[in-house]
Amino acid sequence: MTLFGDSGVMIQGITGREGRMTAEHMLSYGTPVVAGVTPGKGGQSVCGVPVFDSVSDAIASCGPGRIGVSVVIVPPLATLRAVSDAVRSAGCDIVIATEGVPRHDALRMLVIARQAGVTVVGPNSIGVIEPGQRRKLGAIGGDRPERAFVPGAVGIISRSGGMTSEIGLTLRMAGLGVSGAISVGGDELIGLPPARAARVLQDLPETRAICYFGEPGTHFEEELAAEIESGSIQVPVIALVAGTFTESLPEGTAFGHAAAIIQRGSGRPTDKRRRLADAGAIVVSSLDDMAVAVTGVAGGA
Amino acid sequence: MARILEDDAKRLLSEFGLAVPSGRRVTTPIDATDVASAMPGGCVVKALVPTGRRGKAGLVSICSTADEARSAVERMIGMNFDGYLVEAVLIEERIDIAHEYYLSMSIDPAALTFNVLASAFGGVDIEAHAGSITSIGVDPVAPSADREIQLLWSDVGLKDHATVLRDATRNALSAFQSLDATMLELNPLAVDAANRAVAVGAMLAVDDAAIHRHPDLSRLVIEGSDRAARPETLLEQRVAEINADRSQRGSARYLELEGGDIGFLCGGGGASLLLFDAIVAEGGRPANYSEFGGNPTEQRVYDLTRVVLDKPGVRGLFVAHNITNNTQIDVVARGVTRAIRDAGVPAAFPVVAREVGVNDDEGRLIFEEANVLYLGADVSLNGAARIMVERLREAGTW
Repeated sequence: MTLFGDSGVMIQGITGREGRMTAEHMLSYGTPVVAGVTPGKGGQSVCGVPVFDSVSDAIASCGPGRIGVSVVIVPPLATLRAVSDAVRSAGCDIVIATEGVPRHDALRMLVIARQAGVTVVGPNSIGVIEPGQRRKLGAIGGDRPERAFVPGAVGIISRSGGMTSEIGLTLRMAGLGVSGAISVGGDELIGLPPARAARVLQDLPETRAICYFGEPGTHFEEELAAEIESGSIQVPVIALVAGTFTESLPEGTAFGHAAAIIQRGSGRPTDKRRRLADAGAIVVSSLDDMAVAVTGVAGGA
Repeated sequence: MARILEDDAKRLLSEFGLAVPSGRRVTTPIDATDVASAMPGGCVVKALVPTGRRGKAGLVSICSTADEARSAVERMIGMNFDGYLVEAVLIEERIDIAHEYYLSMSIDPAALTFNVLASAFGGVDIEAHAGSITSIGVDPVAPSADREIQLLWSDVGLKDHATVLRDATRNALSAFQSLDATMLELNPLAVDAANRAVAVGAMLAVDDAAIHRHPDLSRLVIEGSDRAARPETLLEQRVAEINADRSQRGSARYLELEGGDIGFLCGGGGASLLLFDAIVAEGGRPANYSEFGGNPTEQRVYDLTRVVLDKPGVRGLFVAHNITNNTQIDVVARGVTRAIRDAGVPAAFPVVAREVGVNDDEGRLIFEEANVLYLGADVSLNGAARIMVERLREAGTW
């Protein structure tokens, strides 16, 4: 696991419009972007970062062990190939920004990654940020991450990319900061579901509390509740599950993210909140209450 | 989940070696007589709507004569079910069924497998026999699933049927993968008197994210079936047209709701859910749900705002996002304020904008010049919703 820390970062799709912009913002924040990969564009450079035709070319040039994470920003139908390339040639952790990856492709890439023992965040993740290291993996925070994220003691996990930053902003306005934030991705098929993301954030020594943002659909909140119940999450978890209004609309109506869909009576925010509260999470219903609750358990840090 | 009508689904499945009843799509009672007359063994008339549970709603009819088929078609055409108008029916030859099985497949996102379900109690009452369903997980990257499939039916099938059921399952699984399906349900999967496995009932949904690699499928999916459990309204169709213009950057989603008086113009995915809950918690009633983002152009923001304002009964407008990564607040402000002006809303019409992020200093000026109440980072999303509802109350009726 090299998401956090100071390992080198590679960007697959660095020569695209999104890739260039993300590379520029990651570098200016202080992230050590050491290589870019775009098939057919080897030999170019983006913001001073050398571009290679393949992951194995990048490894050959940077040296083994230098690259700890790859950020994948390629078109949806090219994502499976890019991720497979990173898993096979680099064996590094991966953050997938691409939205709209076909489900069968997502399934295959997650199985391949699991077999290789690498951590995948996403698809459809705005990124991962560690303000204390001035390290960000992906577009998270845009060109001014410090507007939303200042160093501190709170971990953030969110199924919504935008809400990852909004919670950072909420904490900052309350005089609090962030140890690490993970946008786990808006899809149903993701590599680092909230329950596992909570363990990852807890392992950061600064983390004294975790804020969670959930949505309708999936079993992620139920799994997170089970994880808390099992005792493996030692820090307090403050959870907000949005989308209660969707319960009064016809089942099968999709909202926002691909995964935010209630099917056959499962995935209701009301049930998720109850389950999380029963497991010992602090369940709040507004961002104002979240700020108050976090201050109560991690304030003064 | 983009659904495909049953006759198209069956034609697709037959290309993967699955046997299906022969049949024809028909839209008039006259054609029904012609088609049914050519089926001396009787026929089955099924309404072509992209939903399940049709049998219990009278939308499946077993007919012995062409006259019966004709009157079944007369009855079904024009009916409404689950919000879908029946415009066509499928007339199929009747299969001499020896036994009805159930087979379905989907993706299990937690186990990262294909989840395959089977039961020896297929047919309309499968839900009453939930306890009879066995399941297997199939590794999506394994070269073969033969062993798992064998296990599946050894628990479920009648001995004589095991071979044909295994073959049908193998074919169905290959269709499921090749078509980028999200759901495939064969109910019943019948074994007929000649010991043939026939997909008598078939429901298929494919992944709209994968549709670009299946140009043949794209014209078969039912419009709007991926977003809502009902057909699109006129305002929703307008937003679909707005999104279809590829020359404009940004995405817009819009769902029209019954009643309500607050025009809801928000984003992104998670923040919209939170903001809608917040409006409701404060006693407000949104007239629609929306979600826009992806750094939209001024024109796209303008067009979406006009749609939101055009819903009858809208008496105020709520514009809000999470702090933006790349969406430019000044551009949003220009689109929204121009739309308000062009729509000619009354002076007392409250507009509240909570927009923080890229170029928000500039955006604030544009909003305030247009008499929009601008809120910044010192007001939370929930606080903004509270202020919106208060403003609407103060405005009263004008």
